[in-house]
Amino acid sequence: MVNPVLLIVIPLGLAFVVPLLGFISKKIGKFIPFIALLSNLIISLRLFPQVLEQPIHVNIGGFSPPFGINLVAGPVGILFSFLIALVGLLVSIYAFDYIKEKAQGKYHILYLLLLTGATGVVLTGDIFNLFVFFEILCISSYSLVAYFGDKAGVESAVKYLIQGALGSSFILIGIGLLYGQFGTLNMADIASKIHSIHSISIFVPLVLLITGFGVEAAIFPLNAWLPDAHSSAPSSISAILSGIAIEVGLYAMVRVVFTLFGASSILTFLLILGVITLLMGELCALSQENIKRMLAYSSIGQIGLIVFALSIGTSYGITGGLFQLVSHTLGKALLFLSAGYMIYRSGSMNISSFEGMGKKMPYTSLAFTIGAFSIVGLPPFIGFPGKFMIVKAALFKQEALFTILIVLVLLATIIEAAYFFRVVQVIYFKGEEGKLSQKRERAPISILIPLFIFVGIIVVIGIYPKLLTDVLDSSALELLNRADYIKSIIP
Amino acid sequence: MNFLSEYIYYIGAFSLIFIGLYIVLIKKNLIKVIIGLSIIDTGINLFLVSLGYITGGTAPIFSKSGLKSDNMVDPVPQALVLTAIVIGVAVLALALALAIKLYKHYGTLNLRKIKEQKW
Repeated sequence: MVNPVLLIVIPLGLAFVVPLLGFISKKIGKFIPFIALLSNLIISLRLFPQVLEQPIHVNIGGFSPPFGINLVAGPVGILFSFLIALVGLLVSIYAFDYIKEKAQGKYHILYLLLLTGATGVVLTGDIFNLFVFFEILCISSYSLVAYFGDKAGVESAVKYLIQGALGSSFILIGIGLLYGQFGTLNMADIASKIHSIHSISIFVPLVLLITGFGVEAAIFPLNAWLPDAHSSAPSSISAILSGIAIEVGLYAMVRVVFTLFGASSILTFLLILGVITLLMGELCALSQENIKRMLAYSSIGQIGLIVFALSIGTSYGITGGLFQLVSHTLGKALLFLSAGYMIYRSGSMNISSFEGMGKKMPYTSLAFTIGAFSIVGLPPFIGFPGKFMIVKAALFKQEALFTILIVLVLLATIIEAAYFFRVVQVIYFKGEEGKLSQKRERAPISILIPLFIFVGIIVVIGIYPKLLTDVLDSSALELLNRADYIKSIIP
Repeated sequence: MNFLSEYIYYIGAFSLIFIGLYIVLIKKNLIKVIIGLSIIDTGINLFLVSLGYITGGTAPIFSKSGLKSDNMVDPVPQALVLTAIVIGVAVLALALALAIKLYKHYGTLNLRKIKEQKW
């Protein structure tokens, strides 16, 4: 059996090998993230069959659960760690040629630390350990946003840092309040002692934790940092922030709401918050002229949709939400990577500068178009089954509230289609024939490979959603079945 | 008076947290905002330590004879605070480094004047 600890240990250890290798040669550093994430991907794949039968528990240091720190590799944890390793691996290939300026070694260290933090958050079973990994994720993403050190990057990093640090403070206060009442930090142990959220001493930590994780997950009133940070970071980092970081924030929030507190009575609140986030994100995206800002607002909208789906609260709804989460991770990473390369070539983030890209850079434009169609939810791509499941789950509830909300969700999808199709139109059909240089520019192979792999996964899962739904069904069960989670850790 | 002496640490900790929150929300200067974040951190650390503190208690070393269990200080919050201090230092250092960069770009630390990124 492979030990799930390796998923955290390998990238963390290799992160600090990067500067040592820098003494030998400056060029080896960029291959280290590739090696670390490849091994993570293989370990996650090998763990999948075992985890679907029985979650794996690891006690760090040999202390049994209520006392030591434990790792819980259930279906949800391994699903996320697989996703993190996959996207991280492809983005690290993209970075071979994309990251050429400034201190490359530092970029690769921080990149690995970011992904280590993300993996740690999804695997740990201890609430304070979760906070520590979360901080590793946050601190490395603050500094990666400012990686280029230009005006926009530094300004958005400062904004992100102030809001993120406040959010982390709230999380820590919440953890302190929980420890003060129950004298334990183990999530299963706390969960077994919380029976109702209707007393003030339980409700206050719940609110603090939701607020704190909500900052990173970019839920509606807490997302002021996201458009700036995602648009001014290097494109490879935007892909990771949009595809991994906010999803991990969302995971932490969902874990707290479902497993730790079992708070099914606040789901209606989250439902409405999700729809507001969705509408606000899509409406703001519609009016953007800057392509990366548009994609960032679209991420806010997608997160709103995922929150909506997860807070429907039925197992089918959660499956749909997780499916949408996977499809957003793949689709948005693809969009940021392809848009990033077009920006790199054209030198401008303005949508109008993409005119005629369909002829100049046919492969990259094709990848962008497929990503856009997938996010909108057109049939042969991965976005379609996700949205379909969400609509179906909401209609299954047969309540007036859900019907109204699903109308709003579909309206938001139309808005989404409007702004994505506008960009696709600019890429292929705008620009006068004679004025543009007809010279094709061949993208480097290290940039095309990740784009094609993303396109391949998006199309394959779009055609056979069954590949994913089995895993997602057991993940949804793990999230909903709180008693089993507690019992499996504390007998 | 009894109430005050019993809860004085919590009152102090939460006063610090709210003072820090006020500074972060109201002040315009970036350095002051960073100081506010640091004050919040201090408040949280004080709160965590006071969770497990007993007046006159000692460290729980079980091999020592003559120690009663009701006279021991809970060591877990202290371990948490050590970690929280380290995280706080990292955030603070990064924030100050970014403040230097920001000053080089804009020539000011007034957050009301730095708004190139419109929302």
